[in-house]
Amino acid sequence: MTLAEVQARLDGKTGRRFWKNLDELAATPEFHDLMQEEFPRQHGAGEWVDPVSRRGFLKVMGASFALAGLAGCTKQPDEPIYPYVKQPEDLVLGKAMYFASAYPFSTGAIPVLVKSESFRPIKVNGNPEHPASGGAADTFTQSTLLDLYDPDRSQHVLFRGQTSSFSQFQDAFLEAVTALPGGQGLYFLSETVTSPTLAAQWKQVQAKYPQAKFVQWEPVNQDSSRAASKAAFGTYTDARYKLEDADIILALDADFLGGINQPGFLPLTAAWGERHMYEEGKKMNRLYAVESMPTTTGMRAEHRLGLRPSQIEGFADALVYGIAPSWLNEDQKKFFNVMLADLKKNSGRCVVIPGEQSPASVHAAAYALNTLLGAVGKTVVYTETVNPMPTEQTPEFKALIGDMKAGKVQWLVVLGANPVYSAPVDLGFAEAFNKIPVTVHLGSHVDETGSISTWHLNRAHYLESWSDARAYDGTLSIVQPMIDPLYGGKSSHEVLQTLLADPKASSYDVVVASAKTYMKGDFATSWRKALHDGWVADTAFAPKAGVPARVTAFPAGKPSTSGIEIAFRPDPTLYDGRFANIGWLQELPKPITNLSWDNAALMSINTMAQLKAEETNFIEIELNGRKVKAPVLMAPGHPDGVITIHLGFGRGVEAGRVAADVGFNAYSIRTSDALSVASGGSAKVIDGSYYDLCVTKVHNTEHRGAFAQHDLEKPEYDTQGTFSMAGHEAMERSIIRYATVEEAEKNPKFAEEGASGTLVNKVGYGPQGEDPRHGDPGWDSKKEVDLSFFPEAWKYDKVDPSSLKLQNAWGMSIDMNSCFGCNACVISCYAENNIPVVGREQVKVGRNMQWLRIDTYFEGDLNAPKAHFQPMACQHCENAGCEQVCPVGATVHSPEGLNLMVYNRCVGTRYCSNNCPYKVRRFNFLLYSDYDTESLKFMRNPDVSVRSRGVMEKCTYCVQRIMSAKITADKENREIRDGEIVTACQEACPTGSISFGNINDKNSKVAKRKAAERDYSVLGDLNYRPRTTYTAGVINPNPELA
Amino acid sequence: MATKQPINDPMIDPRTGEYAVIAPGHNFKSVTQKIAGLVLTGNTPLAWFGGLVFAGGIASLVVVALTWLVLKGVGIWGVTMPGAWGFAIINFVWWIGIGHAGTLISAILLLFKQTWRNSINRFAEAMTIFAVVCAGMFPLIHVGRPWLGYWLFPYPNTMNVWPQWRSPLAWDVFAVSTYATISIVFWYIGMIPDFGTLRDRATLPLARYFYGMLSLGWRGSTRHWIRYETASLLLAGLSTPLVLSVHTVISFDFAVAALAGWHTTIFPPYFVAGAVYSGFAMVLTLAIPIRKWYHMEDLVTERHLDNMAKVMLATGSIVAYGYGMEVFMSWYSASHWEFFMMWNRMFGPLGWGYWMLILTNIAIPLTTLWSRKLRVNVTWLFILSIIVNIGMWFERFVIVVTSLYRDYLPSSWGTYRATKWDYMLFIGTWGLFTCLFLLFVRFLPIIPMSEIRMMLPQTKITRGGPTAETVSEEMS
Repeated sequence: MTLAEVQARLDGKTGRRFWKNLDELAATPEFHDLMQEEFPRQHGAGEWVDPVSRRGFLKVMGASFALAGLAGCTKQPDEPIYPYVKQPEDLVLGKAMYFASAYPFSTGAIPVLVKSESFRPIKVNGNPEHPASGGAADTFTQSTLLDLYDPDRSQHVLFRGQTSSFSQFQDAFLEAVTALPGGQGLYFLSETVTSPTLAAQWKQVQAKYPQAKFVQWEPVNQDSSRAASKAAFGTYTDARYKLEDADIILALDADFLGGINQPGFLPLTAAWGERHMYEEGKKMNRLYAVESMPTTTGMRAEHRLGLRPSQIEGFADALVYGIAPSWLNEDQKKFFNVMLADLKKNSGRCVVIPGEQSPASVHAAAYALNTLLGAVGKTVVYTETVNPMPTEQTPEFKALIGDMKAGKVQWLVVLGANPVYSAPVDLGFAEAFNKIPVTVHLGSHVDETGSISTWHLNRAHYLESWSDARAYDGTLSIVQPMIDPLYGGKSSHEVLQTLLADPKASSYDVVVASAKTYMKGDFATSWRKALHDGWVADTAFAPKAGVPARVTAFPAGKPSTSGIEIAFRPDPTLYDGRFANIGWLQELPKPITNLSWDNAALMSINTMAQLKAEETNFIEIELNGRKVKAPVLMAPGHPDGVITIHLGFGRGVEAGRVAADVGFNAYSIRTSDALSVASGGSAKVIDGSYYDLCVTKVHNTEHRGAFAQHDLEKPEYDTQGTFSMAGHEAMERSIIRYATVEEAEKNPKFAEEGASGTLVNKVGYGPQGEDPRHGDPGWDSKKEVDLSFFPEAWKYDKVDPSSLKLQNAWGMSIDMNSCFGCNACVISCYAENNIPVVGREQVKVGRNMQWLRIDTYFEGDLNAPKAHFQPMACQHCENAGCEQVCPVGATVHSPEGLNLMVYNRCVGTRYCSNNCPYKVRRFNFLLYSDYDTESLKFMRNPDVSVRSRGVMEKCTYCVQRIMSAKITADKENREIRDGEIVTACQEACPTGSISFGNINDKNSKVAKRKAAERDYSVLGDLNYRPRTTYTAGVINPNPELA
Repeated sequence: MATKQPINDPMIDPRTGEYAVIAPGHNFKSVTQKIAGLVLTGNTPLAWFGGLVFAGGIASLVVVALTWLVLKGVGIWGVTMPGAWGFAIINFVWWIGIGHAGTLISAILLLFKQTWRNSINRFAEAMTIFAVVCAGMFPLIHVGRPWLGYWLFPYPNTMNVWPQWRSPLAWDVFAVSTYATISIVFWYIGMIPDFGTLRDRATLPLARYFYGMLSLGWRGSTRHWIRYETASLLLAGLSTPLVLSVHTVISFDFAVAALAGWHTTIFPPYFVAGAVYSGFAMVLTLAIPIRKWYHMEDLVTERHLDNMAKVMLATGSIVAYGYGMEVFMSWYSASHWEFFMMWNRMFGPLGWGYWMLILTNIAIPLTTLWSRKLRVNVTWLFILSIIVNIGMWFERFVIVVTSLYRDYLPSSWGTYRATKWDYMLFIGTWGLFTCLFLLFVRFLPIIPMSEIRMMLPQTKITRGGPTAETVSEEMS
């Protein structure tokens, strides 16, 4: 081996590298062979027969430690990255650093601020200064942290199943592609390209190899909006909604409060939430939702209409013409007319949002409606697409498979996608894939595609590699890595770069080169600023001038009449299956259904009756001769005649230890002509089948039936249409309090107990639902009254003699008006507090460990219910029942009013949980925390204990954050400022529903919220005096539809 | 008093007209021989060995279940959220309740000079101790980290941490440990004269040595007897409040909590009555077979059975009143929580448990126990005692589970399903209890000889009766 060879091998390698000899350094096959042997030193001997001397033993141990060190240490990337705000001279242990970056998701980048502790990313938050985040982050973005540390990530480059290296791949790739004339036969199949740099790289590749092809495909894509916008504008165009200016919003199957599946989730929800506040001098917005399955958007809408997907097409089209379709029933017609009148009345201050999964005709109708209603330029603007290479993916994908079948494809390089799992079943992707001479798969896991590819390249996570992407408003962000690739993964940039002038260039080089083309001013300064801020200044898209043309290319189909419609939707927690190996998301209860660790055939109670199905049955869904077996789950408010099934489940062992064998695979009946909805399906119950779905609350069926006088099993007894016992009880117990704007104006004290004319049916006292002292002279319901035999033990009114300030008293207020049950807070809590994932069986028996949960209560008709979402965590009661009953004093009160849990004192009697009326305590019934998996140890928040078995735990109000703020304030010799302490849940909330702070400071936001008339305590009559209170919701229904 | 019976019934004492406590025809020697003979016999019945092996087999389930429990954690049981307490607490309360009859018999009935108690107090006390052994295990193992269970005791430690005295669980520790201590001491002191007898009669050197050690040098002198009687009386005085306090404290575990269905002031008396109720049922369950197998019908007579059944009738009625009051208060309080709890307890998904309770604890026993015919019908009484034991177990099940599984926030409603490990441990404690009882029957005097002797007509020295000489002759 010559020096030149060694240099050539080392070219492009980054980071520190330790080596023993030149063979190892150059990674020659001989060295690999040697390493495969169990005892390389005794090469050829096979067994170690020499007695090990003490010295020899120490040497061997030393080597092991060195290796362990290699695996255990983490480091920053070598390229300079710039910390955000707090800028220590060097690493200060225990002092977290924050770096801005962006999560490139196919519907647009989510700007993030990553907390890094000793160079280990330990939490992904939204970037508070970025206009498209405001500090909030959705469930997916936050969960990418667990994805980074997923122990099942692929760790090596594989060539036909054998360990190889990226440089070997590069050599083979370059050699093969050079041999292809003009790149003929070279195909790339990528997930949706979000990076302008990648797009630029592809342009260069295309220039060099004009015959090569680049296809983007994702199972959940934006084809319909692409098609409609091309027809309306001539070029692909994104619509950007400005809900801050919209008084009336119509969501046409658009679940914009559901998650980042809908582009612009964070800014849209923030704007909706801001306008949904009931405050003096502000006009509340009103949301209409027409949707094909119950979603959080529909449940938070003032008026909701459930229609089959094929009806929504006709409904949208009819709105353009202003004539209610004849197939609507009287109530639906009234809804149509009243809503249309409302939209017209508010012309210019209203907006229509079509759903990403809706067909192109709905998008076309929305263009027309927004034009008609004068919304264009006001509440909606049209811009360039956020993604740099917009295409209609399905036709291109079909063409690719055609070429594959025709044998035209020599090299197929799959970048990040997993088409073997997710391709439409009618296209026969897997067979065609196996015919290709060489297939390459760049992916984070050796998944369904990776395991049958010739080459598998382990992919770097976005927190490990450089890239760039655009957010909802078009603002460019640099995707900045926080950590050197844990397993030496590579990105798409590096794969494409192999074919270009400098094949060994790193992602960093590529992104810098590309950034030089779009950054203005002095590059070093702007680069540094862009990394620091998390976005590149002045890169937001300017609105396009003009209005969309009237599109007639997509006639709305007639509502289907035969068979059952099957709607395919990305899963609320697993999306298209890419998050299937993330335990947090598997365990997260899905909004509305509270389903965890499962997917189900969602349908209405009427459809269930029609199929004679029970919630414990399997049904067999048949579509064009293909069948899938799915368990049945009733979704309140689901339209009849439709079955909604969620994608992303039913994965094999390749997908990882978490994802394997969870749920059923909806892709197995999904065809390319009906990606979002298929008509003409059928379903029948499999007789005698039984499946116990994993629902985090008591099973829906047990909740059905009104109180006492109604039989739970017989819906016909339910004369009032009140099916949900849980919901009924929630109202009866005043757990949920709300009013309409009209009622709230008439009686601002509607949420208060005891006052006359309130809407609250007070429980626990007199038979009339009143406080026994009501009516006594001088009785003031708001005034603190000793309801206890015991005098107040602690008043929280100590005054510090030096500053004459009241002590701190921590409290929380949750605004029920703007909470919409998105679960972002729950995931944030997972990451912050090292909450373990317990698995399906444990969740099924009720042992999920989430400290914070979203309680969902349904109200009214089962076919058109209202839902209320209530975040519920430890209420930090001043008279906490849990503290009274703990025999060892493991749960105690702090002088600042925190209900503390002393884990190492807890013996686990669980008495505290029994005496907690909110049932927010969580017990480690078994050893739930993972102490063994190395990669997960990096992820833990070092400020929070990892709890072992037999110990109670619960929400702490993020006491570690409180303490850290106190220390900082102490060092700076000042008071803690209002808003300085942000709890993890509060941090993640897109609508700012949660506020936290010192309630003794009357000027703090939380104290002001608590002083408001609508503030109430849940179960306040128990006199536990919870520190968390709720602001009663106000809704703004249209009086004509009331 | 059953004066309606024919006057020539041999069981009726012709002098008082009352039912005799002991059948006629016994003298000091026959009593001693009969009882001591059970212990000192060289021929242990084969059935005893069979029973011990069988019960030991069942008791080994405890070992298996506890091993797995320590290895895995309480998650192997059916406890969950919201039902964080389950079988372990139910079984604890049930076993400790059973023990109460023994203390009541040995202490309260002694103070009230109910001499009929003498035939049954020894094994009733043994039952108490073995029940406390079974019960005492549960509070320790039901905690998440049993190896730290000693933290519930106030012991001096470097951390200067003490138990949290407001918690009823801390009170429980003292209630149960005091109870266990006093019961054992009382039981042992009561046996000392009998150990003396056994020592004197034993032929095997080992037995002589063993009983000699246990008898603490008992010589039967008047001085010994005076001290013995004083100690018994003092211990009876100490135990009497325990009969009331132990289960009262245990009822506080529930009554102090704010949970609807637990937060009830009637719990202390209702728990104590329930405990005595189940305890007497258990005494009957044990006495009936023993008196048959060991031919003790003349020492444990129908009068005993009748009296115990009467106590059950009385305590059962108190329990029934308690149930009635719970229902009444849930309506009268006009509290939604109480009302819903009671509705749910009766008609909710686990409503069968409530009706099972009413059937076995109220409906069957309180209708049949009024009849004297049935009270002295040994077969029926045995069946009934089992029914009441089942009923009392269901009472605890209903209190613990049906109050917890649907509480304040409907969002956290759940259910409770016991697992095989729950059942294994529970059934295992039956085996353990039986094992201990079989050992007791074989090696200790199951009926206090000294006290029975004192109840013989011969002790009543009357004019023309046996002289002191003949008495001492018989006694040897």
